[in-house]
Amino acid sequence: MRSEAGFRLSRRAFLRLALLTGIGAGAAIIYKQTELIGFDRMFRWMVRGNAARLFAPKSRVALAACASYDADVLGSLRSAWQAAGAPDLRGARIVLKPNLVDYVGINPSFTHPRVVQAMIQWAREMGARQVVVAEGTTFRRDAQAILDATGYAEMLAREQVEFVDLNYDDLVTIPLKGGFTQLKTLFVSKTIHEADLFISMPKLKTHHWTQISASVKNLFGIVPGIKYGWPKNTLHIQGVPAFLAELANSLPTRGCAVVDGIVGMEGDGPLFGDAVASGALIVGSDLLAVDATCARVMGFDPAQVEYLDFAAWAGVGAIDESKIELVGEPLARLQRAYARPPQLG
Amino acid sequence: MASAADFLAHSQHPDGGWGYRAQTQSVSYVEPTAAAILALKDDAARGRARDFLLSIQRPDGGWGIAALDPESGWMTAWAVLALAQFPDAHDAATRGAQWLVNMEGLRVTDEPSRAVIRRRLQIDSTLRGWPWQPGDAAWVHPTALAILALGAVGKSSDSRARDGLVYLFDRAVASGGWNTGNPEMLDRPVPATIQDTAVALLALHAAGFDASDKRVANAIQFLRDVLVRAKTSAELAWGIYALRDWRVDVGDAPTRLNGLQNDDGSWRGNPFITAIAAMANQK
Repeated sequence: MRSEAGFRLSRRAFLRLALLTGIGAGAAIIYKQTELIGFDRMFRWMVRGNAARLFAPKSRVALAACASYDADVLGSLRSAWQAAGAPDLRGARIVLKPNLVDYVGINPSFTHPRVVQAMIQWAREMGARQVVVAEGTTFRRDAQAILDATGYAEMLAREQVEFVDLNYDDLVTIPLKGGFTQLKTLFVSKTIHEADLFISMPKLKTHHWTQISASVKNLFGIVPGIKYGWPKNTLHIQGVPAFLAELANSLPTRGCAVVDGIVGMEGDGPLFGDAVASGALIVGSDLLAVDATCARVMGFDPAQVEYLDFAAWAGVGAIDESKIELVGEPLARLQRAYARPPQLG
Repeated sequence: MASAADFLAHSQHPDGGWGYRAQTQSVSYVEPTAAAILALKDDAARGRARDFLLSIQRPDGGWGIAALDPESGWMTAWAVLALAQFPDAHDAATRGAQWLVNMEGLRVTDEPSRAVIRRRLQIDSTLRGWPWQPGDAAWVHPTALAILALGAVGKSSDSRARDGLVYLFDRAVASGGWNTGNPEMLDRPVPATIQDTAVALLALHAAGFDASDKRVANAIQFLRDVLVRAKTSAELAWGIYALRDWRVDVGDAPTRLNGLQNDDGSWRGNPFITAIAAMANQK
């Protein structure tokens, strides 16, 4: 092979040159593509994600059938909790965080108080030292109005459980360990920071920003309104998938999830969707695996849900079927085809 | 039964400020402290609160939510409103107002994005309001507070205040009143709330609007209608405060509000709600 300059290039040298050029061009493209984030950071996430996919043990998620809120919710929750191998609560201070995004009439946008009541009773049965219910509502500054309208005020009084408004709690600063957003630290509620276990208790539903809303999206409520406002839009500006991955990754307290899918919500979530009788409770300690299972229950492919795909890629948790051990009620028996949410664009 | 003033006097922290929960909270925040200054008549307590606010003013002229906050934000408006009451805090209030003037919400101005937002959310994303914190988009509550604060230091005619009023009207719910700032969400009307409507109405009154303006009249009507059904102390206090500011009859709402007062003089043991309720009763 002869170059224009006149010297000969052997086939082997040519192939080496082509390979090096290819690698160089590839590196330049990757550098350009990752310029905003930084190649080293991107590489770290990729390594962590691949390590998790290769070496992390399977995440266990339990499904339980529960036909209605008048059925034996406590019994279903108890069996799902045990099947999931969820933590022993003896002597623990626990925070239950339902999704009380708002109350807009009959739309089932919020976690039903019966599910939270069952969790309170189950925690006490296990010997929890302290149980509080906590939420930082998204749109309204006055959580009391939502507690009254949703039946929580009455349930909490009956169970004699304190409600902590996370929008107004004392605050601590936590480091955001993943580096997925521009924020380095975040204010969070002291109540959550000091708890032994944080239980995310979302409603199973669709959401127009994130397609599905389950245990990770529910974490938005732990962010204090007095700092980040109502709604907590600053966090949207950081990029919803990245910020959700960061919240799940940097949660200052050991977490697990109990999802209210007894009646789910399809279509125009988070507020205006329609009820779906799903008859399901979903329990697990890997929030991402729980949300991936929620996606499957609603008939979504988790890999097509952006925040799940990103967080799993970065090693925050598992969404792949091969990395999730499903126990309890067979998934196929609880699966429904939820109507998709509308899109902004 | 103790009075609201008694409760506020007892719940003032040694540093001169107040938190949101008298029994369990030791951190003093700017918002409840400023509201207590506006509600109280006791000069000694107000003076300690003033000194607390002055002590945590940030070098840029603004205030964070508390001493622990390293960044100025929306509570600057509350601090300015409160410090405008004290002639000797004039400079601090003016610097705070200047911080507000310099702060504007994130705006979306490129035409394709603006058109999508206009179509799906029914808002004009190019308007200048105020954000909760730097880097955020503008929202109704901080915008209304900033307009009130600028008015309190004689800057009602500043172009930023006028921009804020345009923003507020753009974000009004078609059936009357305001919510956080999304009158519609993907073609669905989002209901107005009492507190957002109350703060917006207070700002519009301070800016010189009158009830003959149809947009104002709609908001007042919304507030009157929902106040009849309001049950919580915060909703009642804000609703009464705003409607009385507009000289509108509030029916039996004050009786219902006062029926919720605790024996210690507070509403829900919360200095902030107690201060708003006290101001509503004083109007």
